[in-house]
Amino acid sequence: MLFFSYFKDLVGREVTVELKNDLAIRGTLHSVDQYLNIKLENTRVVDQDKYPHMLSVRNCFIRGSVVRYVQLPPEGVDIELLHDATRREARGG
Amino acid sequence: MVLGLRQFTDRVGDGAGEPFLDADNGEELMHEQPGVAVVLGNRAPDSPGTLYISTKQVIWLSDVDRAKGYAVDFLSLSLHAISTDPEAYPSPCIYAQIETEADEDESEGSDSESSDALDLSKITEMRLVPSNPSQLDTLFDIFCQCAELNPEPIDEEEEEQNWVFSADQIVEETAEEEDHFSQNPSNSIGHSNGDHDLARTVLELQINDQRFEDADEIDHDRDSGHH
Repeated sequence: MLFFSYFKDLVGREVTVELKNDLAIRGTLHSVDQYLNIKLENTRVVDQDKYPHMLSVRNCFIRGSVVRYVQLPPEGVDIELLHDATRREARGG
Repeated sequence: MVLGLRQFTDRVGDGAGEPFLDADNGEELMHEQPGVAVVLGNRAPDSPGTLYISTKQVIWLSDVDRAKGYAVDFLSLSLHAISTDPEAYPSPCIYAQIETEADEDESEGSDSESSDALDLSKITEMRLVPSNPSQLDTLFDIFCQCAELNPEPIDEEEEEQNWVFSADQIVEETAEEEDHFSQNPSNSIGHSNGDHDLARTVLELQINDQRFEDADEIDHDRDSGHH
């Protein structure tokens, strides 16, 4: 649940979602659900030579289970907050 | 579960109509969109056809060739998007990536049953091109809705967890009948571990611990019983 609430806070920001098939898509985070399915807007593919057909798609829905990494905007990372949240999560609260 | 795209020919009625859905397991039709062409990989488009979106899968059925139809489970759809860039594809469409078995274990897939040149199980991209591009947003939203209805099945993980839990119970139970336990070092506990080496190691550790503990207790019990 920690990731879910954390990603919800990032809505509206630019993120890069790296899939398990090596495709990396950059876009504005539109929404995220409890399964960490991710919806991006104004997307573009990072490696355009490799995936020319994905050049520009308007909206994009990415299945949570195929996501390998989400690269976050540095300004969207509140270390203090995350620190507290992870500690609380570890305590099972 | 079978990953990837597959042939679909189960139509209700005389075989001309809608796809046969697994209503017994709660599958429902969410949307029907006539006038949709399908493009598999880099192949030429198939049309005309009708797109059916159910709570479990996306089905495209040819309007002219009743033996022609394709389906893919939402579980296999890695991503879907609205593609409107003419450089990516000349017509606005729903673009979808399909997870295939080959994706997972890079092995050369052994020969499929059909000698058909088109191996559906290896198709990783699909485009759905509606005759009217204004339908794209609706289709995209329905795709999203249905994808969310199909989260990753967690059976495997749950089973494993349940199993670890019940293993403790088994150990406790069998500890009471020590004979059975020591006579069958390779009892169902080791068996159920399958090929999960880490789990096995951990469990064996737990089992050994339990044995020591329980043996002490049993000795203790016996002692106290004697006196």
